[in-house]
Amino acid sequence: MHPLRHPRNAIFVGLLFSATGVVYWAVQTIAGWHVDYAGVTMLILLGVATSILAYVLIAGSPND
Amino acid sequence: MAADSHALTTTTEHSPVAGLSHDARGGISNVVLGMLLFITSEVMFFGGLFAAYFNVRANSPIWPTINPETNEQFHLEMLPLVLPATALLIISSFTCQLAVWAIRRGDRTAFLRNIAVTFAIGIAFLIMQATDYIVLGSEGMTLSAGTYGTTYFTLTGFHGAHVFGGAIMLGVVLYRGIGGQFSPRHHDAVEAVSLYWHFVDVVWILLFSLLYLLPGKG
Repeated sequence: MHPLRHPRNAIFVGLLFSATGVVYWAVQTIAGWHVDYAGVTMLILLGVATSILAYVLIAGSPND
Repeated sequence: MAADSHALTTTTEHSPVAGLSHDARGGISNVVLGMLLFITSEVMFFGGLFAAYFNVRANSPIWPTINPETNEQFHLEMLPLVLPATALLIISSFTCQLAVWAIRRGDRTAFLRNIAVTFAIGIAFLIMQATDYIVLGSEGMTLSAGTYGTTYFTLTGFHGAHVFGGAIMLGVVLYRGIGGQFSPRHHDAVEAVSLYWHFVDVVWILLFSLLYLLPGKG
């Protein structure tokens, strides 16, 4: 298996979304704006969901 | 020709990477694949509920809100029922995983014992949650008791419904296990139910932390 297709790399796909959620929260907090907690929660959990989806795509694909 | 068709036949060998059953070409079995996709959708489902909770909490001047009956803040008692229920659910994740490992090595006795324990704990959790609801109801904490009651019962209620669904799945796996339908090579349903049960457990840990451990405001 090619190293890039290792299933554990799926976590990096999810981290993109979760990191976006953290940045979204940090910007609002640092700027002193009203924090959109619903949006932050959904972005972070979208990262979890996307990780699982990426895992399915990578680990579920045939090796040939 | 026969050799080719044999090569495409699905088996339940275990992935050296994740321990999940997969077919002969390296993919995941259909059952596990379906469960993973279902869990993915469930993550977003609970994400919506968590997001609603955070939004309501952030927009409320005090949290927990005021009980209109007693004019005091709502207060959730953690120790009597919820803490033991949480401990039981965490233990059940371990017993469920022990069952998976047992059937992988062909130990049917250990598999049945651990699945039966997991199933029993799931039922016990539901009974404890129902008892908790009755106690809360007697104290004026109901689904219609403001945003606090609504979010509390919506979150825990949907989680309870998922535990109920998981208990049914565990019951089916137990029944099939007693009938000898699982072996080290054929136990996709056990793997799938185990994944679901772990997910339900993780959701409860998040819920418990959110509802009982996170300090209020105001």
